[in-house]
Amino acid sequence: MPDPMDFDTTVKLNIYETFAKTARAPSGAEVAEALGVSGEAVAAAFDRLHKRRLLVPEPGNPSQIRMAPPFSGVETSFRVTVRGRDYFANCIWDAFGIPAALHADAVVEAADGYTGEPISLEVKDGRPVPHPWVIHFAVPAARWWENIIHT
Amino acid sequence: MLIFRSEETVRRWCKAHGVPKRPSMTLDQLWQLAVTWYENRLTEESRRPGADEMAGIFARIGLEGPFWDPRADQW
Repeated sequence: MPDPMDFDTTVKLNIYETFAKTARAPSGAEVAEALGVSGEAVAAAFDRLHKRRLLVPEPGNPSQIRMAPPFSGVETSFRVTVRGRDYFANCIWDAFGIPAALHADAVVEAADGYTGEPISLEVKDGRPVPHPWVIHFAVPAARWWENIIHT
Repeated sequence: MLIFRSEETVRRWCKAHGVPKRPSMTLDQLWQLAVTWYENRLTEESRRPGADEMAGIFARIGLEGPFWDPRADQW
């Protein structure tokens, strides 16, 4: 029987490679087909990866991926364009996390958390283009994972 | 976590949501955090940092105190 940790790493890499190449989350069935394994084996790996805080399944649908940070499996208000491809991030931290993970320049479209006024950010040559804008964390670090979708 | 155009809109957001205003972070601090957290995320050996590592990462970019300590039970 394969080592579950090695299998989980294979599943995790497939998920992240799919996100990087397509900007969308693979379903559990797509991961199973790509790896030539059963849907049950992938579902078990999704569950273990969730417990390791590397994956967040869609609430009520554990075979769909809501988050594989920094990537979001659903459209959000944090659109990140890298090499002409539009990704969605889970929050402003993850919006910078996508160009960090892809080692690429990016344009981030976000909005002021209070006024909704558009904010456009750019990562160029490995650094953010300077702006005086500020980031605010309302939830303390010890509680981030209690409701990660809200955080 | 959210981005704001100014400290004033942070204050308005906190008042509207009935939450205390916390220290804000600059874009440079956010970028350092994102790079530390995610630069190896697409590699085989990547993993989420543990609590002690997280506290160290935050401290290195100037984020200290109970609010940034994942082991804290008060903040």
